[in-house]
Amino acid sequence: MSPTITIAKRELRSSFDTPAPYVVLCLGLPVVGLFFFFYDGGFWQANRASMGSLVTIASRFMAIVAAVLTMRVMADERRTGTLEMLITLPVKDHQVVLGKFLGTWLVVLTAVGVTLLFPLMMFKWPWNLGVLDWGPVLSGYLGLVLASAASVSIGMLISSLTESQVIAFFVTLTVLVVLHTTKMYVDRIDTQWLRKPIEFISFDSRLDSLSRGLITTRDLLYFVSISILCLMASFRALERRKWA
Amino acid sequence: MIETKGLTKYFGGFRALDRVSFEVHRGEVVGFLGPNGAGKSTTMRILSCFISATSGLAKVHGLDAFEEPLEVRRKLGYLPQRAPLYGEMTVWDYLRFCADMRGLDLSTFRSRMKKIVEVCGLARVLGKDIRTLSHGFRQRVGLGQALVHDPPILILDEPTSDLDPNERAEVIRYIHETGKNRTILLSTHNLNEVEAVCARAIIVSKGRVVADGPLDQIKAISGKVRYLMSVDGARTSAAAKSYREASKPPTAQECHSVIRAVPGVQAIKELPSEGTIHRFELRASDKSDLRAELFQLALQKGWVLIELRRETETLEEAFKALTRDDERADRGRLARDVEEAFSPTEDEDEDEDEDEDEDAESADAEDDEEDARAKTDELAKPAATSAAAKTKPSDDAEKGDEDEDEDEEADEEESDEEHDDSEDEDEDEDEDEDEEADEKPAAKPGSSSIAKTSPAASPKAQKKD
Repeated sequence: MSPTITIAKRELRSSFDTPAPYVVLCLGLPVVGLFFFFYDGGFWQANRASMGSLVTIASRFMAIVAAVLTMRVMADERRTGTLEMLITLPVKDHQVVLGKFLGTWLVVLTAVGVTLLFPLMMFKWPWNLGVLDWGPVLSGYLGLVLASAASVSIGMLISSLTESQVIAFFVTLTVLVVLHTTKMYVDRIDTQWLRKPIEFISFDSRLDSLSRGLITTRDLLYFVSISILCLMASFRALERRKWA
Repeated sequence: MIETKGLTKYFGGFRALDRVSFEVHRGEVVGFLGPNGAGKSTTMRILSCFISATSGLAKVHGLDAFEEPLEVRRKLGYLPQRAPLYGEMTVWDYLRFCADMRGLDLSTFRSRMKKIVEVCGLARVLGKDIRTLSHGFRQRVGLGQALVHDPPILILDEPTSDLDPNERAEVIRYIHETGKNRTILLSTHNLNEVEAVCARAIIVSKGRVVADGPLDQIKAISGKVRYLMSVDGARTSAAAKSYREASKPPTAQECHSVIRAVPGVQAIKELPSEGTIHRFELRASDKSDLRAELFQLALQKGWVLIELRRETETLEEAFKALTRDDERADRGRLARDVEEAFSPTEDEDEDEDEDEDEDAESADAEDDEEDARAKTDELAKPAATSAAAKTKPSDDAEKGDEDEDEDEEADEEESDEEHDDSEDEDEDEDEDEDEEADEKPAAKPGSSSIAKTSPAASPKAQKKD
């Protein structure tokens, strides 16, 4: 088995060996439900069998989970010194980064996947509220999968730049919140040249179009390239130990 | 098996390693010693390809650590300081993880584990979470991790720090056991351990190798031997009674001053007495044997000689002598400058104290003796500089320190014996001058490999000058 997979497996296992993910899921899901059904009118007011707002809410939930999970990935390993143990095994630096990314991403994906329970329970079993067009739901979740990859890689990059979990958590959370919510205030900006780039980096505007069923390579590439960029940067950050 | 050549490492502007060169051959267990911050861990991290050297060559098993890090790591079992392990994993899972990372299949892993569990004494804790284990067991797990792929070379960074004496003895036993068919580089602060498992030691200080050779050779580096002498303070010998009726049992002071006067005795220190028995520790050159003289003396004085023993310096003494220089330079320079500025006459007082105070600890006595020796040696060096330093030490305090700065680079091989940690810091300027002359005779008894360090240092000294 390649070292990347071994590391990913270990990450996954050690995540689910602690109570943290269960607590996050058990408390997070009701909160997601609360927002989905009641916030700003919620699902009932819309009076449509649309899951669009669920994707938005799930993406916020995903951002928090990603920030929580990535904060320890590199920072804690560096602080406790286990990174030295890991890296002195016959493994390349990029395998370490990739393995840790995969492991953490899978945990975040579990959290995202669990929110799929809402449409399933509402429209399949045990309730059947009507006919749901599954296409936009699936494309919206495709967007979430990619957005979570981007979020995790951003979190990993920040985590590998510091030894403090707290700093890693807050910086990651801030960055992710900014990326997610830019769409809310972009409308208030009049300057065109400022508005365009801000709209461009917003996660929400891309997830919106995806959750309406519009899959464009632009959106997909946006998330993929953020992930690759951040992973390469964290690889560099890891390599920096050799020279600093 | 392990080879470094001119290994240099800078952390920013701080030089952690300065042209470290040594070799460890197949089957050797080598102790890698030095004070904290001397560069032990840095060297080991470079060898295990965790960090890269600024310049120089590090080879493990014939492979360059920079060019082929993966191959090197495959050949290497490495235990970092404090054995950092994943606390949330069980011992078995953790070792399994390491085996997976090294590409071992399950059957090989199982058969290896039988041996490892036995050697490292892990049977009881295999199913436990690592975070619940005592530090000793963590070290054992760390050792198990390093052995899981049966590597030909082991690099262990302070495997016995923070352990209780029992655990320490155990770990040392494991190292001894596993060391029979492996090459091991072992860093530690505990010199007894080195004597227990290593035949050879490398001592580093401030990023430089200051000694490298078999233990006996390192111990002999100061060119001195110790004598332990015990005299009964409650009785006199029967022989004495017969012809000297007035003879009384000797007091400690009497013994001290009489023994001090024996030609060849360079220093004497009274040890805590056992009941009525006075005990003394003597230092003398390793070229002569004073036991006969000391026995004759006791006979002549009518003392009851309880014990007389001659032994080479302990490793600890040699270690202190080799590394103290740099340590003190680190800690004391600033303080000394200040002290000198405020109490210019203190040094003279102290000199007098030393001359009078026979009970001063041997460190002081040794300094005395060194002064005496240095005076004879002064013929061999420009007298002017030393005279200047001696006559106005306080005025030249700063200048002296600058000199010292420059000397320091060149001083490494002479650090073997001279510096004793006494309070008379003012003497140092003199000493440093003296040492230059002293070092030549002192370095001779040290072997070729010890002398090896001098060519490394001298070019720099010349450059600086």
